[in-house]
Amino acid sequence: MSTLRVSFSAKPWLWSFIAAVLIWLATIAFTGGQGAGGLLSSALGFSAFFVIVGLGQLFVITTGPGNIDLSIPANIALCGALGMKLMAGDAGLIAPALLAVLVAGVAIGCFNYGLIRLLRIPPIIATLSASFILQSLAIAYGRSVRIQPPPLFYEFCTGRLLGVPYLALAVSLLTAAMAVVLARTRYGRWVLAIGQNARAAELAGGRVGRIRFATYVLSAVFAALCGVLLAGFSGGASLAMGEEYLLASIAVVVIGGTSVAGGFSNVPGLWGAALFLYLLVSMLNTFGASAGIRLICTGVIIIAVIIAVSARQQGGRR
Amino acid sequence: MKAHSFRRVLLCTALSLAPWLAQAATADKTIALSNNYAGNAWRQNMLASWDATGKQAVKDGVVAQVDAFTTAENQATEQAAQIQNLILQGYNAIVVDAASPTALNGAIKQACDAGIVVVSFDGTVSEPCAYRISMNFKQSGVAQMDYLAQRFPQGANVLEVRGLAGVSVDELIHSGIVAGAQKYPQLKIVGTVNGNWSQTAAQKAVAGVLPSLPKVDAVVTQGDDGYGTAQAFSAAGRPTPVVIFGNREEELSWWKQQRDAHGYQSFSISSAPSISSLAFWVAQQVLDGKQFPHDLESPAATVTQETLDASLQGLPKGGIVSQPVSVDDLARLKPAATAAN
Repeated sequence: MSTLRVSFSAKPWLWSFIAAVLIWLATIAFTGGQGAGGLLSSALGFSAFFVIVGLGQLFVITTGPGNIDLSIPANIALCGALGMKLMAGDAGLIAPALLAVLVAGVAIGCFNYGLIRLLRIPPIIATLSASFILQSLAIAYGRSVRIQPPPLFYEFCTGRLLGVPYLALAVSLLTAAMAVVLARTRYGRWVLAIGQNARAAELAGGRVGRIRFATYVLSAVFAALCGVLLAGFSGGASLAMGEEYLLASIAVVVIGGTSVAGGFSNVPGLWGAALFLYLLVSMLNTFGASAGIRLICTGVIIIAVIIAVSARQQGGRR
Repeated sequence: MKAHSFRRVLLCTALSLAPWLAQAATADKTIALSNNYAGNAWRQNMLASWDATGKQAVKDGVVAQVDAFTTAENQATEQAAQIQNLILQGYNAIVVDAASPTALNGAIKQACDAGIVVVSFDGTVSEPCAYRISMNFKQSGVAQMDYLAQRFPQGANVLEVRGLAGVSVDELIHSGIVAGAQKYPQLKIVGTVNGNWSQTAAQKAVAGVLPSLPKVDAVVTQGDDGYGTAQAFSAAGRPTPVVIFGNREEELSWWKQQRDAHGYQSFSISSAPSISSLAFWVAQQVLDGKQFPHDLESPAATVTQETLDASLQGLPKGGIVSQPVSVDDLARLKPAATAAN
């Protein structure tokens, strides 16, 4: 049974990677092989951020239709500023600041779920309103000041081992761990069960409320982590730094082969999708395409990949 | 009763202290700012400048009330509704940093028809009844290329970092860069990316295109993207090119640090956030019955190797180079060539 499921889910998993590799090959063919390694290395580095927020969004989306976390960009802006301010450029304060950021992430997740559950607001509205509050907090707290990260933290966020960024290695481990959590632990199986049929899961003894609560907290914590790492990577936090992660966090989940309707997920596909998105923009930039052409191509190619992925999924499942 | 006379005394004192007596005529006027976006450092500085100028003007009795309103979603429809609210609230003048040059025109026209003075700045509106104050963005693009031509008489490979696609300011600065490239054929544009006026987005876009590029000698930018660009070069282990900056404190600090370490030289140009104060004074003066052309050009703020230390002096963390604006500065505003639009 489980080997059967693995072979099915392996298909969309492969699709996003194949697309990423094709685009990478097209780019280096255009440049005549120049910069092949450098491109891959920077793609791994930037994709790591997409994957962190994608992991959280994936769990949220998996818990069923209507579940989505739109507070991610504001969360990134706030926690990036919080982390940099608490570290204050001092290597000794890295650990306490990281801890504080994770606590802030938990608080944001609790707040999101509080709005959804206690006030009975649909997640899409609840997390969007939460994001207004968080962004305002980020503006008031951060005051648009760019505080440099401590050199040690900067080294970690930008350093490489044989061309592979440390962050990409760390996030790969995190991805593997979360794949195991989803497939093997009780929590992960309830997440899938709720996404497939919340009522049935409840009748089977699943604590739907608690599982969703934990999932929103998980997403907020990952977004908070992404915020502080991104601030370290780009030499300080800025108010607008989370903006692109709203669509990107959803795009990597969907292109990675996870069902938008919930219940069926594909954790490794996040990496393929993140690499694909980054390499796609780089390729069009390398070709010298104008911004208009670039956006049209991005849209068309994303639609093509999603159609390919979903066609495979349905073929596999039926 | 007592409070009333006290206020009158205060008002009289303020008026007698004010060097421009003509402004008494606007002492009962109200001015509102309609702003479409607050989520970056430039807008924060712009709002701070508005706030400081407005508070001082109210204190001096120049106007009765000055407020600022920012929409949450950066959308034209939302801002149009906001302007309609401001009309109903009876403001005498509305100053606008607009989400769109055309989509607000209906609401702007309603305001004009209601006898309200409308002054747009930065993000200007095309409705003829409104005033427009803006930097000459095309010229700022040309100025960057002028500097590079003088730095690299033998020629150079130039990377262009553009702003947000589809926004008129991005097109204008880009047209200046293109004009500069035609003027100086030795400057070769080897790549173009969109940095979306965000340090992180610029860093990402530049890092993606860098491996495929030949040696890059210089980078032209649009503001709030120079620091991220420099980060991308150092992360890729490439020698740092001459990056033109956009007057942000973090950029100037980095430039100073590089200069002190190995004699790095550059140039910086951007729109000064105090343009909101300029717009305030234009609105106040129009309320006072003064005449202005409807298209005005605000000066660009620049930083050179010589003025770097002076510009950093007193610039707060996260600040942007700006100059304090008073009503007297209006005399130096030039009418803008409308052909740019």
